Amino acid sequence: MDGRRGDSGTRGRGEGNVAIQVTGVTKLYRRYGRRHTVGTLKSALLSGMGKGALAPDASVPAIVDLTFGVVPGEMVGVVGANGSGKSTLLKLLAGIVRPTAGAVEVRGRLAALLELGAGFHPEISGRENIEINGLLLGLTRRQIAARFDEIVRFAEIEEFLDAPVKTYSSGMAVRLGFSIAAHSDPDVLLVDEVLAVGDEAFSHRCLEKFAEFERAGKTILVVSHDLGLIAERCRRAIWLDRGRLCADGPAKETVALYRERVAREEGGRRLEAARETPDASAPPPQRIGSGQALVEEVRLLDGAGNPAGRISSGEPAALEMRVRAVAPLSDFVFGFAVSTVSGTSVFGSNTDIDGLRPAEFAGQGRVTLEIPAFALAPGVYSLDVAAHARDGAPYDYRRDVLRFEVTADRAVPGVWNPLRRWRFDGAIRWKA
Amino acid sequence: MLPLLRAWRHRALVAALTRRELAARYRGGVLGYFWSLVNPLLLLAVYATVFRLVFTPRADVHPYALFLFIGVLAWGFVSSALIDAAETFRANGPLLRKTTVAPEVFPAAAVGARLSHLLLALPVLAAAIVFAAVRGSVSPGPSALAFPAVLLLLSLTVFGLALAISSLAVHFADVRDVIANLLTLAFFLTPVLYPAASVPERYRGLLRANPFAAYFAALHDCLFFFRPIPAAEWAWMAATAAVSLAGGAAIFERLRDSIAEEA
Repeated sequence: MDGRRGDSGTRGRGEGNVAIQVTGVTKLYRRYGRRHTVGTLKSALLSGMGKGALAPDASVPAIVDLTFGVVPGEMVGVVGANGSGKSTLLKLLAGIVRPTAGAVEVRGRLAALLELGAGFHPEISGRENIEINGLLLGLTRRQIAARFDEIVRFAEIEEFLDAPVKTYSSGMAVRLGFSIAAHSDPDVLLVDEVLAVGDEAFSHRCLEKFAEFERAGKTILVVSHDLGLIAERCRRAIWLDRGRLCADGPAKETVALYRERVAREEGGRRLEAARETPDASAPPPQRIGSGQALVEEVRLLDGAGNPAGRISSGEPAALEMRVRAVAPLSDFVFGFAVSTVSGTSVFGSNTDIDGLRPAEFAGQGRVTLEIPAFALAPGVYSLDVAAHARDGAPYDYRRDVLRFEVTADRAVPGVWNPLRRWRFDGAIRWKA
Repeated sequence: MLPLLRAWRHRALVAALTRRELAARYRGGVLGYFWSLVNPLLLLAVYATVFRLVFTPRADVHPYALFLFIGVLAWGFVSSALIDAAETFRANGPLLRKTTVAPEVFPAAAVGARLSHLLLALPVLAAAIVFAAVRGSVSPGPSALAFPAVLLLLSLTVFGLALAISSLAVHFADVRDVIANLLTLAFFLTPVLYPAASVPERYRGLLRANPFAAYFAALHDCLFFFRPIPAAEWAWMAATAAVSLAGGAAIFERLRDSIAEEA
């Protein structure tokens, strides 16, 4: 009955100088397939409410025999693909779920930011929500009162303190959620992908807060898909792959190893999805096709026509491939597809979609897709290119053939950063 | 009994969640507090009218409106707390999945919010008793002092049931409907509309089997008839509360780990 979720601040009784100790932990998620997760009491009673009525049908491993420790004052990044068990690891550490086998120890007061503002109730004011959130994080009412002004100042929500949270912008809610957690004075802070939300200025303040925590000897565990952040800010990083520890070491090294694997594997999966006859089993190779035509060189060009690895968001750019037909072809399509490094499809088109009807392609050629305003949100993107027949049969499909970065003055959530203009009618005024 | 202890340890959170329930309910209504009285008053008006005009109430329950008011208020607490308990984990899913909150605080807050509604209505009940006393219909006595103890035992019983209902509702989609139907049935099997004494002798055993019967008889004893509650009734109420808490806690503990995963 020890180390239960919700029990007060200090959990575990570990020996030695560790903040987090995970020993041989396995977590199986139960699947109630027979009843589709929620059954009815009636059916359970009818089928005999025996021992088996509440027993799961099958188990899905989320974490498998995981062992690692973290000493106080370390900021550790956790990387891995979706479904690799990162969030489950944080939930285990937070005590929200219990390990199926093994032991989890966290020493000192713990604060988990698994979702900013998870505890906000939309109908009541920011002031009342601060109290509830603080209590959820284990603060006493007196501590909340003492830190109240600081929380409000950090979140910059002074004017909206007494308005219901449903009137807050998502940015305000995020700031308030982080501010409460940051001021709960944790010894161990667990953070799951929450910095991706706020604006850049606020992200910087969060990172400053992390640095402050680190200097104060606090332990921070960060799950993020932002590999740059982990490589730069964390001393150490852990790479989880399908619930298993794949690498554990200096952050830059772990991230480099992980990037290598992502380039090899995820690129394959992505184009797999774009293929017209998807093959569900093994990860496809990086390059497939009959070879009747070949894509030989792929470049990203800036507005001046020079090869570039980086494009300013909204500026003109062009995608270019050099192609060669081994024998003359009368049936051919050229295409480009852009996706994020995590695999979200952003844009894709080909000559067929855009209404071009093939006549003849022989020998060498160059295909350029000009884009007057490259309106992607800042970030790193991956490019797939292809030459194929009109029925989809590939001549040469190349996945993740090029990576490029889109930059902008300020961060924009999502993948689209269109040219835009605000308009206001009525009595809405702005400071000069 | 662990869930009760944990809910007690997190009582500041339970109180805050209870206030949140009340605040969220009353927000947007100028007559906030008034609304918590409308439902019982309306029910009271309907029952009092129907039973006075259509049926003839027994002479020993005069004034019948006051008699009804006590039962309707208390039954409102019991039934709405149990219905809310069936929904509380689903309503608070994000909190359960994303924070380290102890799950028992939610059924506790559900019961707490409904208990608060009852407490807020007490001044009106007190006024009604005083009014009846001034008219000489009832003669209040010291037995009214037993009321807080009866209410405490009733709340513990309701909390025990709320623990069982809330955790079962995570696994079974129809728990809320089952509870709603059972409550409709229980309403007529509980001495709300009629005094326990009017139940024929040979059905008394059946009435005993209803865990709420003793509470409502006791509430009428201390707030309407103003007579002491028999020791055997106290023992029965204490036993019901203990069994409800132990049983509810056992079911809750058994399902506890799956609440955050399934809610």
